[in-house]
Amino acid sequence: MKVTTMHKKFTFYLLAFLFLPLVFSSCSTNLQSNQIQFGITAAQRGLWDEAIFRWKKAVQSYPDSAAAHNNLAVAYEIKRNWDEAKKEYETALKLSPNNSHIKTNFENFMKNLEAREEEDTNKKNEKK
Amino acid sequence: MKKNKSILILLLLFFVSCTSVNYFRVNVEVSRKALFDINQFKEIIVTDFFIKKEAESFDLNQELVNYFTTQMKQNLKPEISSRRISFPDEEIFKDKAFWKNILPDSQETAIFTGIVDYTQEIRKAVVQTKKKADETFQRDKAIEERRFYTLNLNFYFIDAQTGEVLYTQTFRETQGYKNPKQTGAFAFYDLADMVKVKLFNNVLGTARIQQRYLIKD
Repeated sequence: MKVTTMHKKFTFYLLAFLFLPLVFSSCSTNLQSNQIQFGITAAQRGLWDEAIFRWKKAVQSYPDSAAAHNNLAVAYEIKRNWDEAKKEYETALKLSPNNSHIKTNFENFMKNLEAREEEDTNKKNEKK
Repeated sequence: MKKNKSILILLLLFFVSCTSVNYFRVNVEVSRKALFDINQFKEIIVTDFFIKKEAESFDLNQELVNYFTTQMKQNLKPEISSRRISFPDEEIFKDKAFWKNILPDSQETAIFTGIVDYTQEIRKAVVQTKKKADETFQRDKAIEERRFYTLNLNFYFIDAQTGEVLYTQTFRETQGYKNPKQTGAFAFYDLADMVKVKLFNNVLGTARIQQRYLIKD
């Protein structure tokens, strides 16, 4: 009887030992992406300067974070800073080439950018 | 039993942390530059339109002039007025001297005019109909009629000072109606509204809303 109880206790602690690091590791990832999350919350409230500040910090601390680069690109797009937006999208895509959300963002961004450039060229030609 | 519950809670915590949503959508306003900057003018004069074929039940030219004069007054910065002009033929739009002489001393004034074609077409087709339970003579096929109206508008913005065509664009809108009593005059306003939206988008450069994904991790 005692052996069985001991056995059960052992199984419980073993499982807890195996799962707790997993839970905490996911939490620590969340801790790491605190700046990203804070930026998202700011962006959702329309505070894009604050969001840029947070995502820049995230990029400085974690240069390999595709999410931080992608979000920064979106913010630059909103701020009409096309060059910076393009740079950040390209970095995000390099870091995570299969991420469908980044791909979609970049494709739409490029379509708009090309249309804008075409309009500018047409206007210049008309003036000539 | 209690220990099993604890393990289940741990498992649940783990899966919740792994399966939470990791993206958010935000709206991005994409501005489109005006193809033709209408606000560079102080005044726009809406003249008559060259009508290729008169509409049956209403004065197409008068309706167009009234419609665009009103809409431009509501949506554009320059002063809007209208003036009657008769056209000898379609080629007049290329004649700079003709337009130059309409308002000889005008400055920063544009003339808004165009060529219009408004057609009506009735299309018939055999369609499946639902059988009614109390119907003795049951039919499951019937001929249905649709009225289609097409508005073809070729607009011109002409510089009143030089007589030069500054901007021209053609719009073609078609709308079908199930109602056999639909009149051409009512359909005209639906089509004119569609054209107006496109025209004003081009001359005002309105913004479109697109979505972007913000990623959590």
